[in-house]
Amino acid sequence: MAMPGFLQQLRDAMYPPSRKQAILGLFQDAESAATAGDALKDAGVPDTDYDFLTDSPYPEGSLGEREEKHRLYLYPFIGALLGLSSGIMITAMSQVAYPLVTGGKPVLSLPPMAIVCYEGTMLGAILFTVIGIVFESRLPKFVLGLYDERITQGFLGLRVNAEPEQRYEVIQIMNSAGAVEVKTDQ
Amino acid sequence: MASETQAHPPAAGHGHDSHEHGHFGPEMWVIPEGPGLVADVNERQRTTPGIWRVVFYAGAILTILGIVGFLLKAFTAGFSDHRAWGFYVAAFAFVFTLTASAPLAACAFRFTKSHWRRPLSRIAEIFSLVSIVNILLFIPALIALPDIGVMHESGEQLVRRSIWFQELVNPSGWLLAGMIGLSFCSVAILWLAALPDMAQSRHLVTGFRASLYGRLAGGWYGTKRQWQIQKGGLAILGALYFMMVVFVQFLVVSDFAMAMIPGWKDSILPPFYTVISFQGGLASILLVAYVMRRWGGYRYLIGQAPFWAASKVLLGLTLLHTYHLFAFFITYWYGRLEVEQAILNYLMFDSYIGIFWAQLFFTFFIPFPILVSNHARREGWGAPLAAIFIVIGLMLWHIRIFAAAFAAAPAVEGGLYYLPSDAFSFPALLLPVPGATFPDLWDIFMILGGVGIVLLVFRIGMMLLPPLSLWEMKEGSMYQRVDTLIRGRYLVLAKPE
Repeated sequence: MAMPGFLQQLRDAMYPPSRKQAILGLFQDAESAATAGDALKDAGVPDTDYDFLTDSPYPEGSLGEREEKHRLYLYPFIGALLGLSSGIMITAMSQVAYPLVTGGKPVLSLPPMAIVCYEGTMLGAILFTVIGIVFESRLPKFVLGLYDERITQGFLGLRVNAEPEQRYEVIQIMNSAGAVEVKTDQ
Repeated sequence: MASETQAHPPAAGHGHDSHEHGHFGPEMWVIPEGPGLVADVNERQRTTPGIWRVVFYAGAILTILGIVGFLLKAFTAGFSDHRAWGFYVAAFAFVFTLTASAPLAACAFRFTKSHWRRPLSRIAEIFSLVSIVNILLFIPALIALPDIGVMHESGEQLVRRSIWFQELVNPSGWLLAGMIGLSFCSVAILWLAALPDMAQSRHLVTGFRASLYGRLAGGWYGTKRQWQIQKGGLAILGALYFMMVVFVQFLVVSDFAMAMIPGWKDSILPPFYTVISFQGGLASILLVAYVMRRWGGYRYLIGQAPFWAASKVLLGLTLLHTYHLFAFFITYWYGRLEVEQAILNYLMFDSYIGIFWAQLFFTFFIPFPILVSNHARREGWGAPLAAIFIVIGLMLWHIRIFAAAFAAAPAVEGGLYYLPSDAFSFPALLLPVPGATFPDLWDIFMILGGVGIVLLVFRIGMMLLPPLSLWEMKEGSMYQRVDTLIRGRYLVLAKPE
C-alpha cells in the first residue's frame, strides 16, 4: 500500500533511503554462522552491517559479533531524578500551603515527605526505563523485515546490509560457510 | 544452537527414551530440546487438558460470586462505615500478597542465574496480569478507607494515625499511584520477558493471539542488540520492581492494618508482611507449576529440580515468617504497656485466638516438617503440598490482621480520631479490647471471589501467552548436560557470565 506523500517524506527524512540490500543467510548450527561472520569481516564488510538473529541469547562474543553499546542504564537515573524533584516540590508546596503542626513536628518534616518522594522517584525510574527499552530496542516496528521462521526452531540467521556491488560476494561467503538457504529482499 | 542441543539427550517423556540421568530419577533434570520447542508448546497450549477447564470455570464462578457479594455489600452497608469492609480489604490484601511478589521470583532467580528457575519464570511473570486486577480491587478499599483528617464540630481538625503527612486529607491518590506504578512495572517485565517468545510464536498461532503477538512483538528479530537490551531491561526493571513492591506492601499494611488499630505502632509489621508476601508468592508459583507438571501436560518440560531447589527457599521463608511472628509477639509481650497487651489480646490471645492458632498451624506447624523432609522435597510433591497449607494459612493471616484492623474502632473522636494537640497523651487506644467480627454471607462471597479472580485471570494469561519461558529454556539447554565424573553421571551446568 502506497504511503501518503507527506508520510513518505517524513519517513525518508527519518530513515534516508539506502542503496543497501538485505541478505539473510540461514545456518543450521552456530559454528557455521560464526564462520560466515568471520569471512564477512575478512571481506571488508563493516561489522555494523551484519547481525546474527537467534532464538535465544548466546553468550557474549560467542559468534564473533561486535560489541553493542547502549545507554539503557541512563534512563532510570533520569526518570528517578525527575520523579524525586516532583515529589519534593509537591510535598513541600502542599505542607507550606496548609501548615498544620502535628505532634510538635516541624511543618516541613522530612520523614513523611520521604514516602511521597520515594514513590515519585520509583514511578519516574520505572516509566523512563520502559521508554528506554522501547527506544533502545528500536521497537516497535510494524512491518517485519527479512526473517525466516526456521530461526524459531534453532537455526541462526545472519542478516547483512550489503552494498549492491558486494551482494554476490556476500551470498558466496554465506554459501561457502554452509548456509542452508540465502534469502534477499528483492 | 542446533548443534549444541542435538548433542543433548532427548527430554524425558517426550516420545524418546528417557535421558541419561545419573543417580537421580529420570525426571529430576529435564533438559528440553531447543528445536521444535516453540511449536510443541504452542500446540500443547491449543489442546487444553481438562484441569485447565476446571480452573477456568471455577475461577469464573467464584469471581461472579465475589461480584455479587460486593454489589450486595455495597447496597446494604454503603461505604460510610469502614468497619463493614474489613473482609473485603482482607480479600484484596490476600490477592495482592500472593500475586504482587510472584513476578519477583522470576527476577530474583534470574539475577542469581539459577538454571532451575527456567520452567518457573513465565509462571511467575503471568501473575503480573493479576496486578491489573489488583488496581480495580484496590479502588473500593480506598473508598472505604477513612480520611486522615476530618473536621470536628468545634471547627478544629481531628486526625488519625497515618504514615502520610497530615495535611493530606485522603492519601488515595498516592496509594493508587503506587499500585498503578507497581502494576505497570510488573506488566512491563512480563512484556519484555515474553517478547522473544511472542515473536517466535507469531507464525504458529492464529486469530486473536496472532494479532496480539504481532502488535506486542513487532520488530523483534533476536539481534544481539535486542537480546542485550532485553537482558539489561529485565535486570533494571527487576531491581525497580523489588524496590517498588516492598514499598507498596509497606503502604498497604501500614494504611489498611496498622493505622486502623488505635495505638498499634509496630516497626516489625511491614517487613513481616513483605516476608509473608514472598512466601505466598513462591507458594503460588509452585502450586501452579505442580498442576502444570502433574495434570497440565508439561511433565516433559518441568522436572523435579525446580521444586527441589525452590522448596529450600520456601523453607527459609517459612522460618522467616515464624521468626517475625515471634519478634512481633515478644516485643509487645515484654513492652507490657496497656495498649500493647490489648493488641496482643485482640490479634492473638483473645478475640481472634482461634484463627491465630489455625493460621500458625497452616503456615508453620504443618508445612515445616514437610519442607524439612529431604524425600518430600526431592520427589517434587513436598513443596506444592506445603504450599497448599501456606496459602490457606496466609488467607487466615489476612483475615486476622486486616478484617480485625478494620473492625477495631469506629471513625469518631476517641475511636480512630484525636486532636493533633493531644498527640503526646496517647489518645485513641484499643481499650477495651473489642470482640471478634465474623463474616456475613456477602463477606464470604467476596473472599471466594478473591480466590476466583486469581484463578480466572491467571488461566486467561496462560491462554494468551506462552506459559513457559521458551527462550530461557532454549538458553538453558545450551548450558546444561548430563556428563560423567569418575563413575557417576551428573548434571553439568555452564555459567558463561
